[in-house]
Parts: sequence; structure tokens; C-alpha cells
Amino acid sequence: MKLAYYPGCVAQESGKELDLATRWVCRALGIELAEFPTFSCCGSGFVDEANEVLNVAINARNLAIAERAGLDLLTICSTCQGMLTLANVRLADPAVKGRVDGALKPLGIEYRGTVKVKHLLRVLTEDVGLAAIRAKVVRPLDGLKVGAFYGCHLLRPADEMGWESGEEPHAFEDLLDALGATPVYYRGRVMCCGFPIQFVKAETAQRISAHQIDDAKAHGADAMATPCPLCHISLDSFQNRAARTVGHALDMPVFHLPQLVGLAFGATPAQLGLPRHLVPTDAALEKIRLRAAP
Amino acid sequence: MAAATTPTILDVYRFDPTKDSAPHYQRYTLDLAPHTPVLSALLQVRAETDPTLALRYSCRSAICGSCAMQVNSKSRLACETQVGPEMERHGRIVIEPMRNQPVLRDLVVDQAPFWRRYESIEPHLILDPKHPMPADRPTSMTPAQVERFQETPRCIACAACYSACPAVSADAGFPGPMALAKLYRFVVDPRDSASTERLTRIQPNGLWLCLRCHLCTEACPKDVRPSERIRDLKELAVAAQGGTEPGSRHAIGFKENIRERGLLNEMKLVRQTDGVVGLLRQSGQGLKIWRKKPEIARRPHPIEGLDEIEKIYAALDDPKEERP
Repeated sequence: MKLAYYPGCVAQESGKELDLATRWVCRALGIELAEFPTFSCCGSGFVDEANEVLNVAINARNLAIAERAGLDLLTICSTCQGMLTLANVRLADPAVKGRVDGALKPLGIEYRGTVKVKHLLRVLTEDVGLAAIRAKVVRPLDGLKVGAFYGCHLLRPADEMGWESGEEPHAFEDLLDALGATPVYYRGRVMCCGFPIQFVKAETAQRISAHQIDDAKAHGADAMATPCPLCHISLDSFQNRAARTVGHALDMPVFHLPQLVGLAFGATPAQLGLPRHLVPTDAALEKIRLRAAP
Repeated sequence: MAAATTPTILDVYRFDPTKDSAPHYQRYTLDLAPHTPVLSALLQVRAETDPTLALRYSCRSAICGSCAMQVNSKSRLACETQVGPEMERHGRIVIEPMRNQPVLRDLVVDQAPFWRRYESIEPHLILDPKHPMPADRPTSMTPAQVERFQETPRCIACAACYSACPAVSADAGFPGPMALAKLYRFVVDPRDSASTERLTRIQPNGLWLCLRCHLCTEACPKDVRPSERIRDLKELAVAAQGGTEPGSRHAIGFKENIRERGLLNEMKLVRQTDGVVGLLRQSGQGLKIWRKKPEIARRPHPIEGLDEIEKIYAALDDPKEERP
């Protein structure tokens, strides 16, 4: 399988560990990642708020890059997944398509709308398949109770994302089960991490992220896992702030999705960039009889 | 021919503040056809088993908006949610009052805060006194004008969106999805004379607290798609007024940030949004993150083909471009 790899901004910078883990897992599964230094940011939902057509156009350009190479697009971020899918959806409106084409045609760029945008979670559960995942597991994550945290834009609006239920998805839990972990079902798994307003009103954002962490913990989670590096920023990088805002300890290790796959496939914590997390993952690793990297 | 029935388990939230110190869940098991609405199941419980069960309902036809409640954690109209799929998915049906509103008894909530937040946006036409509505003839709008707010008049004020909204839970300053969707409707109504004032007022009063999580759009039984109307409102506010608030400054800052290198420059974005004071306030946290993730202080390499991004911006974002 060969896919156009769209890492997104965060995984190339502060969330580099997500990129490391993705590459490790894709190598293990024989997924070839075609790289394009021409890809731009997806707009992250913010450009969409400032100028919708502009946001569709920059993503049409991204999609056209994959189309020219004859590849579908692999995302590793719920927001990238949402924004690129939304571009495909909005380009079906002739008025939008007309304005976008008007900007792209003079650059010699044409997007015909043939590229499927697939998040790693979907590639793993549908294209690779759970049986093939199970066959690769050398270190089952048994004993580890994990609360999946989807990230809004992977799921909603569900009719536009065209994949899972917007409120009752199960792909992530299916994957956790295939890795040998015990999925924890809690309401917060489909809720917001607070990230979009982290820089608007930090306290409110942090109350929201703390709420989801508390919910996962109340349902018995030893750790959380997310397919979105923006959720990871809220849940991990700002967890100390969230704890201060709500006035109690949270102490919740938060994995990126491919890190858990990598651990089950036998990668070391260092190969997956676990030491880069702000909240130590040691307690969770001990549950699967692993020591944290030095 | 009667449809086959199956055992249906209802776990219903019960709370009577005059008697109970805490809420509890009461289980009722009924034999029901899978297409039975949850509301009919509850009314059967009340008629046959427990006349004390309190709930709000009226039309039973998804028109009045009275029977919104949580069905297996989803905010839904009970009259149009069938028991079969819920039983199939969850093995039981947990029925709870709506969120974000104080419970009066059982499934009945106090809607006063919901209505107060709605009223705060002045949900009525504000006319220019110099151009009053003509008394002798109807006013007219073009089809294109009406199309701009075709979704919002479908709203039945059931509050399912308000119940589903995490921003309402976390911040008393957020007016809620319905209020903002309705505000959008008046901002784009050509008869309304207060569009600018409405945008000026809402920018610092909750517009930018929307998380765009789209839970309201999933919950809405009438496909008003409040989260998308809020997005429209944000774009209108940015176009009319620019970056007057942290929220609009962040959206504009992000847009400009991408224009420079094609990728996000994280540190610069913090400066663009919060100014120098904000950066200092966040610097303690920035340092903590930097120790683990030194890349945050690095400027990303510009993408290849950055000139294309510049030209797309020039075509679609520069002031000469006419925007709705």
C-alpha cells in the first residue's frame, strides 16, 4: 500500500513523536509513505473561520498534489482529516468550485476531486484490517485500560466526514482491542479537548480538557490515546495547567494512536518518542511490563 | 399484522428534590416493537407502571420541541428516537434529562437559563426607525437573500444543541448554539438594521468560545447545523470588523501565519494572538514544553511552492476580493 503522507504542521514540529511513531508503524506494516515537501497547512479550522473559500482553495491545492501522484492521502491528525475532507465536500458546490478553480487554474493546478482522505485510524482498521494488526502484535497490551479520545473533526459533522457515527464510534476501541488493551468507554471520548479556544480563553479550554480526563479516569482508564496531535497538546502539553485550573491532580498519560500500535508491535518507548511527553507514560508502560526509556 | 416485540430495558433517571437526597436510576422492562419511539415507551411506563414519572412532551411529532432528553448520552427528541437501534447498540436505553440545565424533577429541567441566553442576542428584527415596515403591504426579499438563512427558521427551540454543548457546560459566557444560529439569521436578514451592532456585541460576548466540535449539529433534530451557522457568523465578524478579540485575532493571525511559510509557526502564532503580555504570561508553560519539544521555538522551513500559496491568497483573500 502506498499513500501520500500528510503529516500536518504539529507532527513536523512540537509533535514530532507522532511522526516518528507513524513512520515506525507504517514500516512495520509495509505501508509506503510518499512525501511531498509542497504540502501546506490545512488551515486547522482557524483559516476556515477567517475565510472559508481560501481554506478550501489551499486544501484543493494539497489534494491536487496527491491526485497528480495518483495516491490517496494519509492524515495523522483529526483536524487535518476534517479540513481536507471538508474541502472535498465543499468543492461539490459549483459556486465554491468556480471560485477555487478561478484561483488555481492560473497556477496550472487542477483538482478533479478523486483523492480519498484517510486518517491512519481508518487505514489501520479498514485497509490493513484488524486480523492483520493482531497478527503483528508481539507485545499484547493486556492489563492496560485505555480511554480512546477521538478528536471532533475525525467524526463530525458525521454526514460530511462520511465514516463513523458522530457520537458513538467504535473503530478506535476495535483497534485497542486488537492490540490486546482494554478499551474504556466514557462519554468524553467523543467530546472536545478544548484546543480551539486554548488561545482565546485558556481557563475554559482547560476546564473542558480536565473534564474529559476526569471522565476517562472515573471509568477506569490507566491512559488515554488520541489520533489527533492538537488533542494531544491539550491533554498532555497543557495537562498541568488544566490540573491547576480545576484544582486537582490529573496524572493521565496520553498516547498518540500509533505509539500504542508501535508498543504492541515491539517498538521501544524511545523509538516512539515517548520521552517527549510532558506527562510521564511510565506508569502505563509498567502495566505492560515495560520500563520507560532512560 | 402486529410487529414482533422484544424486551426493551429503560433505565430512567429519577429525582424528586422534595424526597430524594440524590438522583437514582429506575429500571423498567417493556415488550416493544423496535420502531416504538422512546417517548411512547415512557408514556406507557407512566400509564401502566408508574404515574409519578415526570417528563415534558406535547405534539409527539417532532414539531413542538418539548421532549428533548438524553437517550444513551445523546441529546435527542424522545418522540423521534426509536428503541430498536438503541437496544441493539447498547443493550439498554439510559434516559436522562438534558444537560446544562438544572433538573426540576425526573426528566424535567429548568429552561430559564437557556431562554435567558437566547434573549440576550435580541432574537427579533431591529428596524431602522427612519425606514419602518410598510403597514399596507408585505415586505419582500429575493430568493437569494432568503437562502442565506434557510436553515435557522426550522429551529424548534428544543434545546438539544444546548444540552450537547461542551462550551455551555464550561463557560457561562457562551450563549449556546441555538442563540448564535439565530443571531446569524438576524445578521444576514436584509430587513435588520443592527447587523453591525450585533457583530460588535457578540464578538467579546461568546462568539469565539464556540469549540466547533459540531456536537450541536449532530444533536439538532431539524438540521439547522448550528456549528456551521456559528462559523458563518465568525467569518462575517472577521470580514466586517477584523481582529477585535483574541478569537478573531487568532483566526486572522493563523491565516497570515500560513501565508508566510505555508506551515504553522507555533511561537509566532502565540505572539499574533495574545501580544507580548500574553507571551510573557504563557512563557513559563512555553519553557516547560520547550524542554521536551525544542522544535516549538524553531521557525518551520518554508514549503516548496510557497509562491502558489501567495497567489491563492492574492486571488481569494486580499481586500480587493469582494466577500459576502
